Amino acid sequence: MPLGIPVIVTLSVKIGILVALLLYAVFAGIVIRQEQLMAAVLEEGFEPILRILTILHFAASVALIIFAIIIL
Amino acid sequence: MPTLFQAPASAEASAGKPAKTTKKPMKSAEVRSVMTPLTCFAVSPKGIRFETQQDDEQVILFLRQHIIVNVPWVLVAIFLLIVPTLLFPMVLGNLKLPFMIPAGYIVIGTLFWYLITFGFILTSFLNWFFNIYIVTNQRVVDIDFVHLLYKEFSEARLDKIQDISYKSGGVFAALFNFGDVIVQTAGESPNFDFLSVSRPETVVQTISKLIEKIKKEGRL
Repeated sequence: MPLGIPVIVTLSVKIGILVALLLYAVFAGIVIRQEQLMAAVLEEGFEPILRILTILHFAASVALIIFAIIIL
Repeated sequence: MPTLFQAPASAEASAGKPAKTTKKPMKSAEVRSVMTPLTCFAVSPKGIRFETQQDDEQVILFLRQHIIVNVPWVLVAIFLLIVPTLLFPMVLGNLKLPFMIPAGYIVIGTLFWYLITFGFILTSFLNWFFNIYIVTNQRVVDIDFVHLLYKEFSEARLDKIQDISYKSGGVFAALFNFGDVIVQTAGESPNFDFLSVSRPETVVQTISKLIEKIKKEGRL
C-alpha cells in the first residue's frame, strides 16, 4: 500500500512550484512588453493579434498561479 | 517617377506561395504585395511602416527569413505537445514510487507544461516575425529581435553601400531558394547580413538597381 508523502516534502514542492509559476508569469509579462516595443518599431497590421496572444499567455500564467494556490 | 524595380510576375510570395495581388493588369511600379502574417518576401508591400521611416521614403522590399527556418522549432513544439499525452502516462505508470503523487500536482504539472509550450511557440514566432530586413528607396534597414528586451536597429544609406553579394548553399537552400545576402558598406556604417532570405538573387538585383538609380540621379 503506498505511503503518504511527508508534509515537509509536499510543502517544499508546493512552494517550489509556486515560485516557478511566479517566475514564469514575470517572463510572460516581459514578452508582452517586448511585443509592444517591437510593434512600435514595425507597424504591419498583425500586431493586435500578437498582442492578444501575449496577453492571453500572461493571463494563463496568472490563472495557473491562482489555480495552483487553490488545489495544491 | 520612372520604374524603380521591375518586379517579375512571380516575385511576390507569402510563406513560399505566390502572394495575392490585385487581378487587373498593373504597371510594374504599381505591383504591390499583400501582407500576411507569414509573408517573408514582399515587393512594395501595402500597409508597412517602420520606426524612423520618412515621409518621402518608400519601402521597396520587405524581407524576413524564409519560412522554412521555422521548421526546427515547430517540430520541437509538436514534440512538446504530444509528450504529456503519450509519455507522461507511460513514465508515471512504470515508476515504482513509495508514495502516490497527488492528482493536483499532476494537473498543475501538465497545465504548466502546456503553458511553457505555448510560451515557447509564441517567443519563437515573435523571434522570426520581428527579425526584418527592409530595403527602401533611400537605405537598407535591419531590425533584429535578438532576445527578450533587446532590439537592434541598423541602417545604411544606399550611397554608402560598396558591395553586395549573396551565398546560398545546402539542400534546403537550393530546394526552397533562400540564402544569405551580404551588404558591405563604406566607413563606419555596419555591414549587413540578410540571413536566409527568399530569392537572394532578386534582393541583390533590386539593391543594385536602386544604387544605379541614385548614381544616375547624381546623388552619389
